Formats: sequence, C-alpha cells, structure tokens
Amino acid sequence: MPAKNATQWSSIPGKLKSGEYVDSRIYSDRDIFEEELSKIWRNIWVPVCHESELPDPYCFRTMTIAREPVIVVRGNDNQVRAFLNVCPHRGNMIENRPSGTFESGTPSGAPKHMTCMFHAWQFDMKGNCAHISRAEEGYQDRLKNKDIGLRRLRCEVKYGGFVWVSLNDKIEKSVEEWLQGAFDCMQHSIDAEPLEVFHYHKAIIPCNYKLWHDTNSEFYHDYLHYHNRITGFNDSYFARQCKGFDNGHVNVGSFEVQYDQYEGFESREELSFPHLPANHWEMIDLFPGMNFNLRGSALRVDLMTPLGPDKVMIEYRGLGLKSDTEEQRLIRQRHHNSIWGPFGRNLHEDLVAVSTQQAAMNEWADERKILHGRHENETIHDEVGMRHFYDEWGKWMDRWPGDPELTYDQGLKKAA
Amino acid sequence: MNLDKVRQDVTETIYKASIFLDECNWLDWLNLCDKDFYYSIKAYSPEINKDMIYLDGDFEHMSSLTDMLPKHNTDHSPLTRHTVVYTVDIDKKNKIAETISSFALYQTQLDGINSHILAGETNLFMVGKYKDKFSLNDESPLFVERTVQLDTRRLDKGSHWPI
Repeated sequence: MPAKNATQWSSIPGKLKSGEYVDSRIYSDRDIFEEELSKIWRNIWVPVCHESELPDPYCFRTMTIAREPVIVVRGNDNQVRAFLNVCPHRGNMIENRPSGTFESGTPSGAPKHMTCMFHAWQFDMKGNCAHISRAEEGYQDRLKNKDIGLRRLRCEVKYGGFVWVSLNDKIEKSVEEWLQGAFDCMQHSIDAEPLEVFHYHKAIIPCNYKLWHDTNSEFYHDYLHYHNRITGFNDSYFARQCKGFDNGHVNVGSFEVQYDQYEGFESREELSFPHLPANHWEMIDLFPGMNFNLRGSALRVDLMTPLGPDKVMIEYRGLGLKSDTEEQRLIRQRHHNSIWGPFGRNLHEDLVAVSTQQAAMNEWADERKILHGRHENETIHDEVGMRHFYDEWGKWMDRWPGDPELTYDQGLKKAA
Repeated sequence: MNLDKVRQDVTETIYKASIFLDECNWLDWLNLCDKDFYYSIKAYSPEINKDMIYLDGDFEHMSSLTDMLPKHNTDHSPLTRHTVVYTVDIDKKNKIAETISSFALYQTQLDGINSHILAGETNLFMVGKYKDKFSLNDESPLFVERTVQLDTRRLDKGSHWPI
C-alpha cells in the first residue's frame, strides 16, 4: 500500500472503529495531564511502598502522590499510617530523607518524634502535635498542641504487604473493593508468607506514564524482546488470556515459560513462589499505572509517579520471601535481574521503546491515531487490555480517548 | 616478586579493561579475566536499607551475556569511562592483588531517543568504584573478581552492557 498523505495519515485506517484507537494528544497535552492528576491520581488508591521497608516501629518512608509529599510511618503500636509530609506551621516538608527511623533524635528534635527542622515543631507517630516551640510566648492561649496536627491520609496494608494510600479522605471503596478481584490470580502466592523487597532502582524517562502502562498491558511488543520470543512463542503462550476487571484493571493470564531456551538462563522450577506452578507467570496491570508481575521465582512491582505529560518516574522493586536463605535470595535476585534489573535483557528494551514513542508524539506534533485495534479472542496479542484501560480513563476524565475534545458521552454516541 | 612492577601491571590491566569496555570489545575484556572470574554490579539503597545486586555472573555467564547482545534491541550510545586507580594491595604469599578504583561513566547520545536532536550530547550516566581482585600466578595479572559498586541508583534506561 502507498504511503499516506497528511489527510490519510490522520484519518482512521482500514475498518477500525471508535474504541480501537486513541488520540495521541492524551499522551502529550499539558491540560489533560493536569486533569489526570486532579481527577484520577488524587482520588484512587496508590501502592506507595512495601511494609518490609518499615521493618520496625518509628521507621518511615517518604514519597509523592500527585505532587503532594507523603510520609508513611510505623507507629509504636506497629500500625502503619500515612500523612502529608507537610508541617502545619509554615508548610515545610517535615522529612527529606527517603527512609529512616525516628527512633533517635534529630538536630532539632527529640527521639521518637517527627520534627520539622525549621522551627522544631514535633509530632508523634499518630500525627498528633507533641510540641510547639515557645508555644505560650508566641501563641498565648490562641493555639495549643491539640488545635493542630498532621493531615492524616487513608492508608491500608494489603496484597503481599503493600502500603496503599489515598489523598481522598472520602474514597468510598476499600482497597479490596477498588481492586475487584484483580489480585485473585496471585493473592494466594503473595499472601502465603511475608515478603521482602530485595531490589530497588528508579528510572525517570521522557514519556507519558500511560505509554509505560500500555507496554505492560500488551505482549504484542514481544517482537521487541528476543528473550520473550525465544522462551515463549508457543501454543501455550498464544493461549494466555487477558481478563478485565471493574475500575480498569487487567490480568494477563499465565503460561509455562521456557527459560532454558535462552542461552545461559536456567529453569526457575526449583524456586517458585508459594502456590505458583513452576516457571509460571501472572501479571496484573492496575488502573491508572501500577504493575504487579510474578514470574516464577520473583515478584516485580512497577510504581509510577507522573512528573509531566512527557515525564514519568518509575520505581522498580523486586521481592522475595522474608524467609529466604542467603542462597535462595541470591538465586531470586539473579533471576529477577537477568530480565528486569537495570542491566537485564528486557527492561532496557522497553524503556528505549517508550522513550522513542513519546519523542514521536510530543505536544507540538500533529495529532495522530494510536491504534489499539488487535482482536484475538482476548489472548496475549489482543489489545483488549489497553481498550479496557482507556474506557475507564474516559469515564474518569469525561473525555473520549479517541477524540479528547469530546466528552465521554459525546464520544459514545458518535461511536454508536 | 617485584612489587612495583606488579603494581604497574595491575594498574595497566585495569586501564586496559576500561578501554576494552569503552570499545565494547568484550572478547579482549574477558581475555583479561581468569576462568573463575566473578562479576557483579552492586549498590546500597537508602530507600530499602539494603545492599543490592543489580547484575552478577561468572565467566561463562558474562561470556554468554555479551555473545547474546546482537540479538537484543539496545541503546548504542557509547559509554566512556574515566577510571582512576586509587589503591593496589598485594598479598605476596597468596599471589593476589586487591584494588579500588574510582570511575565516572559518561554516555554520548547516539540512537537512544531522537538522534537528530540529541546525538553527540554527553551526559554523566553513573559513578562508583571498581573493587577488583587479581590472581598473580601467570605472566600477567588476571581479574578473578570485579565488583562494580555503584553510587548511582537512578539508572533511567539502564544498559545491556557490562559497566
């Protein structure tokens, strides 16, 4: 077929219908990005860290959700709580470190308290204000400890020990209700015994967070990955089933990976996760941008923090069992790293691909249709995962993904 | 054993390794290594308060890894090491040398994203230390172990290449 002129290029190709493509502007428009932060990311459950990163009372981790600084702490009652990492006095960030413990004091504050270094206001692990410096001298009876405290956020520990936080105090659904069975495929494996994070690295790449999520939602891109083709691409690979859940989540079903087909790699049958058949692979893509990936011996979890319409931070964690012996842990690490580590075979390929994808659809480029039209009985090369995601996205944003200038209902009517 | 000569030979071997790695000359790099060679890339994470291994393998694994590179889609932007050997400690009795070197790894953009705009630009990619162990049994020192101890944990696109 001949190459296309400008008009043909921007029109819908072949017999593809509405819902089988999205408009490239959803990946590059600044206003759409800001809306996503306020409409979606501020109102859903976000898995922010793992409980093993807070091993003892007074341990903490800091992170960001939709540009809000957040701190997660384990109290002396062993309960995990989340707060805005913001001092109620003059709005300073209370804690700058990525992790640590409040067990010992800081230059400005007492042990076992969160202390804002600026004016030494202190808070306990439940967010209560424990100390205002020179309170009576400055505030007389107008402001007392009891009048002020940290902004507490909704927080649950669930599904393999992950800490879920929401900025929305009024969020109606619990984590379990929000996920609507999406974790059924691996819950038995990841809840069998305590897990532990053994790997952490981060990538900040020039792409929209949804492009990374798309890559995790479809396996047609295994043409990018020599490893996946050589260890998959058989009848059971092509029979893997994709299943959509309410709220935009998707499960990519399992099959037995032939790891030893890749030169230098070994079967993972000796060290599978509990209740996971040897060399099997379950994957969950959660709306709007998290991925839980259980491959044989290791769990990989991608958590995204959107930084801009064309910029995302991805935190990569690898997890094993807390009960691992030293030898078992080394094996899990090696298996994890060989594919998903920063020097592994697949991850680098994925990151190169999405970076160049964004480069070709920046905010100044002509809008174009991004095709999500593969139908193969919802099996592994079907693009149903992305269609499911963008249908949910459209409802949250009240925009039609195929033409974001239309509302969702307008797009639906036009499609009909 | 002439200690000064051993120190010089070991130091030159480290610099040769950097040159071969810069050139992606994996064969010559591995020819500097003993058959019992063990390679690892490690980092400490303040996020999870753990020492981590980002990649490891023996001679056979590293040989296979480099052999398989042409099968993979890769960012071919050249990497350039600035290596400085800090210390060389020689154990005459066991014929072993242990060294610590500092390295800074730069990446000059080629085909990683948009070559028209970015190709030719050099950025700092990662910094760390090489902790090496050599056997001194043969004519020339041979690497028996290299630990790449990274300070950098934000690795963005990462790399398929040994560091």
